[in-house]
Amino acid sequence: MARRVLELPDTVPLSPIIDLWDQQEPDGPDATGIYDFYRNLADGELTGQKCLSCGKLIFPPQIICPSCNSTELEWVKIPEEGELYAFTELKLGAPIIVENYAPFVIAVARFGNYPENGFQISGMMFDESYEELKIGDRITWDILEIKGPGDKKRYWYYFRKL
Amino acid sequence: MRNVAIVGAGITKFGVREAGWKDLVQEAGKAVFDDVPNLDKKEIDSLIVGAAQPERWINQTHVAPLVAELLGIEVKRVISRTEVACASGQAAIRYAWLAVAMGLSDVAMVVGVEKMNTRFMNFSQSSMINVGNREFDGANGFTAPPFFALVAQRHMHDFGTTREQLAMVRVKNAEYGSYNPYAQFQKKVTVEKVIESRMVAPPLTLFDCSAITDGACALILASEEKAKQLTDTPVWIVGGVQHVDYAHTTNQMGDLSHWVGLRKAAKDLYEMLNIKPDDIDIAEVHDCFTISEILEYEELGFCKKGEGGKFIEEGQSYIGGKVAVNPGGGLLSNGHPLGATGVRQAWEIVMQFRGEVPKERYVGGAELGIAHNLSGMAQLHHIMAYSLKKRSDVKFGR
Repeated sequence: MARRVLELPDTVPLSPIIDLWDQQEPDGPDATGIYDFYRNLADGELTGQKCLSCGKLIFPPQIICPSCNSTELEWVKIPEEGELYAFTELKLGAPIIVENYAPFVIAVARFGNYPENGFQISGMMFDESYEELKIGDRITWDILEIKGPGDKKRYWYYFRKL
Repeated sequence: MRNVAIVGAGITKFGVREAGWKDLVQEAGKAVFDDVPNLDKKEIDSLIVGAAQPERWINQTHVAPLVAELLGIEVKRVISRTEVACASGQAAIRYAWLAVAMGLSDVAMVVGVEKMNTRFMNFSQSSMINVGNREFDGANGFTAPPFFALVAQRHMHDFGTTREQLAMVRVKNAEYGSYNPYAQFQKKVTVEKVIESRMVAPPLTLFDCSAITDGACALILASEEKAKQLTDTPVWIVGGVQHVDYAHTTNQMGDLSHWVGLRKAAKDLYEMLNIKPDDIDIAEVHDCFTISEILEYEELGFCKKGEGGKFIEEGQSYIGGKVAVNPGGGLLSNGHPLGATGVRQAWEIVMQFRGEVPKERYVGGAELGIAHNLSGMAQLHHIMAYSLKKRSDVKFGR
C-alpha cells in the first residue's frame, strides 16, 4: 500500500499575528467599538476623544471613559502641530511586516498642552533620519495608507518634521 | 500570614540553547530536586509556572499541567501559569508565596521558563511588540529596544547622563557575569567595546541590550514547619509589592525619564518592611537595558533622582559600594528568558545568602536582598524582598 501523504499549501494567507493593523474591522466578529477612529483617518483626521462628562482627554480611543465610566465621548482632532519629545531609529529587530521599511525613526510627540490638556503619541517617521532630528523639533502628523495584502486598504498615521 | 521560605533553587544554563521548552523545564526541575535531596516529590502540593509567550514561541498553551506531567508532580492545591511579560517569573513566586502564606499550600514549586530562540528569529522579535499596546504603539514598531532608547535619550537630555555612564553598567554586569557559569555572556567588556558594538536603536548599541535567551529556573517554597525538615539554610520571603500607574500606552506614560510606578512601589515596600534603601545589601534589578539600571538606582532611592549615571561612574553599585547591584551579572550577562528572569533573580539571592557563588561576585555578610522585575515598556514594576532571617527576627530600619 502506498504511503499516505498529507499535502500542505505552499503559502498561507497573511497571518493576523504578524499583521500590525489586524484590529481595524468595522463589523463582524472582529469588529472594534472604536472603528470611527479609523473612519476619521480615512477622512484625513487623526483623532482622540474628550469625555463629555468629566472633560478628560482620551487616547488611545475607547468606548468608556476610564476616569468616570461615561459612555458620552466626542471625537477631537489631534492638533496639527506638535513637539518632538523623543526619538530613535530602529536599526535592528523591526517587526516582520515592516522590515522592508527599516531603518525608520520611531518618535514620541506631544500635541497641545500635555499632560494637562494634550496628547502624547508614538509614531513612525520615514522622511527624516535620526541625525536630522532634535528634541523640540516642530512636527505634524499625516495619514498613512496601508495597502494590501490583495485589495485590502486600511489607514494609519505617521509623523514628519515641519 | 505564615512565614514562607525558599528551600531549594535550581537553574539551567542560559543562552542560545539547542534544547526545547520541555527540555528546559526538565533540566530546571532536576536541578531543584537535586538541591533539596530530602524532598519527596509527593510533598509538593502546588505548582506555579511563569511563562510569558509560550503560545507564540512554542505554540503551546495550558502549560502548567504540562509542567506537572514533565516533573512528575501531582498537584492538589494550587496550579496556574502566570503572565506579566518580562516579570512572569516573579509573578509565579508571588502566587506560590501567597498560597503558602495563606495556609492553602505547604510545599509549592515555582518554574520560570522561556524558549525564545527559534529558526524564525524575526517572528520572535515581532512577538515583542505585543507587550505594549499592540494596536496603538506596536503598530509603530515599538519593540523594547526603541522604547528604552527613548528613555535613554530623555534621561541624557533631562539629567546630563552620558553615553559612557550607560556603558559602565554593562561593564560592571559583564564583570560579574564572567564569574557566573550559567550566564549567556561570560566575557568582560570595556566602555569602548560597548559603545562600538552594533547600533540597535540610538543611543543604544547591542551591548546596551539584554539578549534573546532560552532558559529556566525553579524554586521550592515551603511553610516554616516544612522548611525546617527540608533545609538548614532557608531564605525567607519577607515582602513583595507591584505597581502600575494606570499606564500601558504612550499617552499615559508621562515623562519617560521618570518611572513613577517604580518610585511608588519602592516606597510601599520600604514602608511595609520598615526599611530604608540603605538597609539593602543586594539588589537584583531589571537591567533589560543599561539605561534601565540607571533609572532603577534613582527610583529605588539608592541615589537622588537624576544622579544614576554618577552612581555607576563612582562605582557605588559594585560589591563593596553603597549597594551590590546585580552581582550575578544581571539580565545583561545572563540573558533574558522572560518567564525565567524573575526566578533567576531569586536564585541568585539564595545562592548569595548560602555563599554558593564564586568569591569574585560574593556579597559577604548580606542579610537582605531585593529583586526588582519590570514588565513591558516599564509600565509595571514588581519588587520582592528576601532575607536570611525571618521578618520578625530582622532588625530593619537601622
